Amino acid sequence: MSQENPDNTDVTRMIILGPSAQVSPTELVQKLHMLELPLTIKSTCYGAIIHGQEQVVKDAMERIRKLDPYNIFTKDRGFPPGDPRRCRAKRGAAREGFHQLEKEFELLDCVREALENPREVHVEKYEKIAPDSLKKIIEECEEE
Amino acid sequence: MKIAIFPPNSLILADLVERKGHEALALQKEIRKKVIDPEIDSPPFNITEEEPIKGLKYAAIEVPSGVRGRMAIFGPLIDEADAAIIMEEAPYGFGCVGCARTNELSMYYLRKKNIPILELQYPTSREEAIEMVNTINTFLDELEEKNG
Repeated sequence: MSQENPDNTDVTRMIILGPSAQVSPTELVQKLHMLELPLTIKSTCYGAIIHGQEQVVKDAMERIRKLDPYNIFTKDRGFPPGDPRRCRAKRGAAREGFHQLEKEFELLDCVREALENPREVHVEKYEKIAPDSLKKIIEECEEE
Repeated sequence: MKIAIFPPNSLILADLVERKGHEALALQKEIRKKVIDPEIDSPPFNITEEEPIKGLKYAAIEVPSGVRGRMAIFGPLIDEADAAIIMEEAPYGFGCVGCARTNELSMYYLRKKNIPILELQYPTSREEAIEMVNTINTFLDELEEKNG
């Protein structure tokens, strides 16, 4: 049975380039290599996957995001790069999570636009309704 | 702050939370703990027979084991959350009945937890997407102001 191993601090992150990105996945991977950090780097169609010690990955992410802050998005990944349980080379067909990424990719340009032109908005706070108010609403509805 | 996101594997939500310096409680972090160690199972399973037992903390024994198994992964993330962002009707959140019930149960626990919660609908247009990003950023800024 698989057990959790708290000593293993290696993490994997996906770096996803938005549709208006000024860098290509190839350039992204080159820049990642030029950071000279102890990382496993894998080039992908949407950007890259990096794998290594948590602090090193975080450092690489912060530095690489500076290339194009509004067009480089990152998220965690559970499986390491090239894992046969996920890698398309072994399994065939679309990788799990691909369709989600494909769907969210459609919104990334809007996210970029909103991040470039931030706007203060009012966040509506919902509160619990008092039982008396609820009774009043029910009575009003019944009268109608 | 540790922010629970829903759907728990959302790229946009996780990225926006991390841009503001918070920690996104993404599902992948829990999954990673279970899949990276070479163990007796080959391949190691995401969910073993242990998970439905752990899931009993979050769902009664009558609840199907699929829901309890999923809750064993989602539950610790909900326990850790200091705030939450829920995006409903996400198209990729669609799944089998087990997924649907787990989603409902997770959202119920988040709402019951008495933490700051932002509830949104998955955007279907450019305007809605921009509004969503601004709302999330304002919510996260307000959290920072409250908690320093």
